[in-house]
Amino acid sequence: MKRRRFLQTTAGAGLALRANLGTALQNLYAFGQTANLSHVEARYYKKLPDREIECLLCPRKCKLGDKERGYCGVRQNDGGTYYTLVYGKACTMNVDPIEKKPFFHVLPQTQALSIATAGCNVNCKFCQNWEISQVRPEQVNHFDLPPQAVAEAALKYRCPSIAYTYSEPVVYYEYMYDTSIEARRKGLRNVVVTGGHISPEPLEALIKVVDAIKVDLKAFNQDFYTAYVRGELQPVLDAIRMIGRSKRWLEIVYLVIPTLNDDPGQARKMAQWILKEIGPDTPLHFSQFHPMYLIKNLPPTPVSTLEKLRQTAIQEGLHYVYLGNVPGHEGENTYCPSCKKIIIQRFGFEIKRIELKGGLCKFCQTRIPGIWS
Amino acid sequence: MMTAVKVVRVRGRGVLRAEGDINPAIIQRMYDRGIQLLTGQSSAAAGLSSLFRPSDRVGIKINTIAGRRLTTPPDVALPFSRLLAQSGLPEKNIVIWDRTNDELKEAGYKLHAGSGLRIFGTDAAGAGYTSEPLIHLNIGSLFSTIQSDFVTASVSLAVLKDHGLAGITAGMKNYFGAIHNPNKYHDSNCNPYVAELFDMPVIKTKHRLTILDALVVQYHRGPSYHARWAERYESLIFSLDPVAADFIGWQIIERLRKAQGLPTLAEDNREPLYIRTSSRMGLGRAALNDIQFIEEDV
Repeated sequence: MKRRRFLQTTAGAGLALRANLGTALQNLYAFGQTANLSHVEARYYKKLPDREIECLLCPRKCKLGDKERGYCGVRQNDGGTYYTLVYGKACTMNVDPIEKKPFFHVLPQTQALSIATAGCNVNCKFCQNWEISQVRPEQVNHFDLPPQAVAEAALKYRCPSIAYTYSEPVVYYEYMYDTSIEARRKGLRNVVVTGGHISPEPLEALIKVVDAIKVDLKAFNQDFYTAYVRGELQPVLDAIRMIGRSKRWLEIVYLVIPTLNDDPGQARKMAQWILKEIGPDTPLHFSQFHPMYLIKNLPPTPVSTLEKLRQTAIQEGLHYVYLGNVPGHEGENTYCPSCKKIIIQRFGFEIKRIELKGGLCKFCQTRIPGIWS
Repeated sequence: MMTAVKVVRVRGRGVLRAEGDINPAIIQRMYDRGIQLLTGQSSAAAGLSSLFRPSDRVGIKINTIAGRRLTTPPDVALPFSRLLAQSGLPEKNIVIWDRTNDELKEAGYKLHAGSGLRIFGTDAAGAGYTSEPLIHLNIGSLFSTIQSDFVTASVSLAVLKDHGLAGITAGMKNYFGAIHNPNKYHDSNCNPYVAELFDMPVIKTKHRLTILDALVVQYHRGPSYHARWAERYESLIFSLDPVAADFIGWQIIERLRKAQGLPTLAEDNREPLYIRTSSRMGLGRAALNDIQFIEEDV
């Protein structure tokens, strides 16, 4: 069963206001019509001689001649000025449970207005949202949705947060940044779901305007990043460290792919690194892989593999280690690290009960880190 | 001993008028002579009929990404399509195409999807991309259905120019315009991606002919147009061997660079490595000893 179908059937959650996910790319433009692209100057780049530019937004640092696109596919050099083509242009907007992101320590049982544009600055062979992340903005329908409209939609649909998610929000950085400011003015929170391929300067600025960031750490070795992500591990670790040491909430997700990144030794090293660099309270989610995009020859991750990795991370001292995409598993629950009792019980994206009061465990009064109200 | 593959360069003196537009009589003579020399037939129509069956649906993949100044112009593509028709192909079985309708229009083409010669982009209604990626080696891409479904034979009618990432762009890299995610294959001088993309059956089994538009060659700071480094080269280059055509194109760009005191592409850290990779993969020849290079002026 494809992941999206799986999620639809298990969660029963998520109001698709403008559904593009789950549909094949279509011929969206009638003969002679043009794509709905923005032409807003990008913020992190430098101009070079002869109308060339160097993008400074992500570690890839694309150096581009006139008329060329960045690796992300959504930024273009036109005449020596670099433009984002997706500012204020969303390709999808949904109301999702925040647990779907997943954020397990941020406003549980609330909905997040979730948006995305096309594009991504890596090319994961296992991408679960490739129909929008691995395409150019001309290849999927985008609709006008300026920052103010996103914030207003969140209020309209009673979402206390806006999630920048699905594809890779770093590539629509300016849109995300301005929307975050707009959302804050309206008393909303901002949560980001990213692969963490971002340069320090834009990340530092982003951290100031958002509340929580979830980073997909794809593996804990460069070989995997080279072969299956087409990216670099170290900048991602640097980003995780910067977020973890800021005042913003951080959660980490690790998609476990059978035979490719399911080595317990690697998981142990990763857990040790998280413990040393950030601390034991950073939630770590081990998620189940489903065959998708360019990797269709591997089965879904066995639950026993996920359980083994979870136990490894717990043994290393992490307090909040979860399993993802296995509805009903005990690894979905939050346990108090002191009294070991369930303080948030989940089933998929559904919350069954919460035993927290004012951020404290109801049973033993231990403070549970997160954003609870 | 293997027979050398032919690469033909035909120079049409005066093909570019002072205003930059193209003399139709001279471009016609360039095609006629180039195809005759390449195929050994007595006329261009006979030469093309030796390459294409009347039942073929032929895609002419042009390159319009750089706008009107450095693109395969209608005055180059349309005479070739007429030659194809003269060789016995029904016009409705010929399509001139690229990625988008907008780029085609900007390059001066009039879109046409009805009866007769067709001209449209992958984003035209009725075209589009395959619904699932086709996977081969390091390539995983959606393909233009024009290339994957419609055509049975294809011609790469590409602009020869310097490329800031690949080193050069010519007949093989032109097929980057047949996939939905070319930006994902720019690492490592586009190597091995150009070769591996060409190696996919959907291209390799259909490609019949490379024609390089070298009327104006951008030999530095490509792929966009910079008058300072654009040479009026007034040539078309023909080959049945896609690698040999690009190899000769590379040598031409190196010669033009040298004449202007510019570093070689290797010295500029952008040697077109994909050409040697293509040769190693058996897609064609990439050595002067293996190529019979014929040059003629018309």
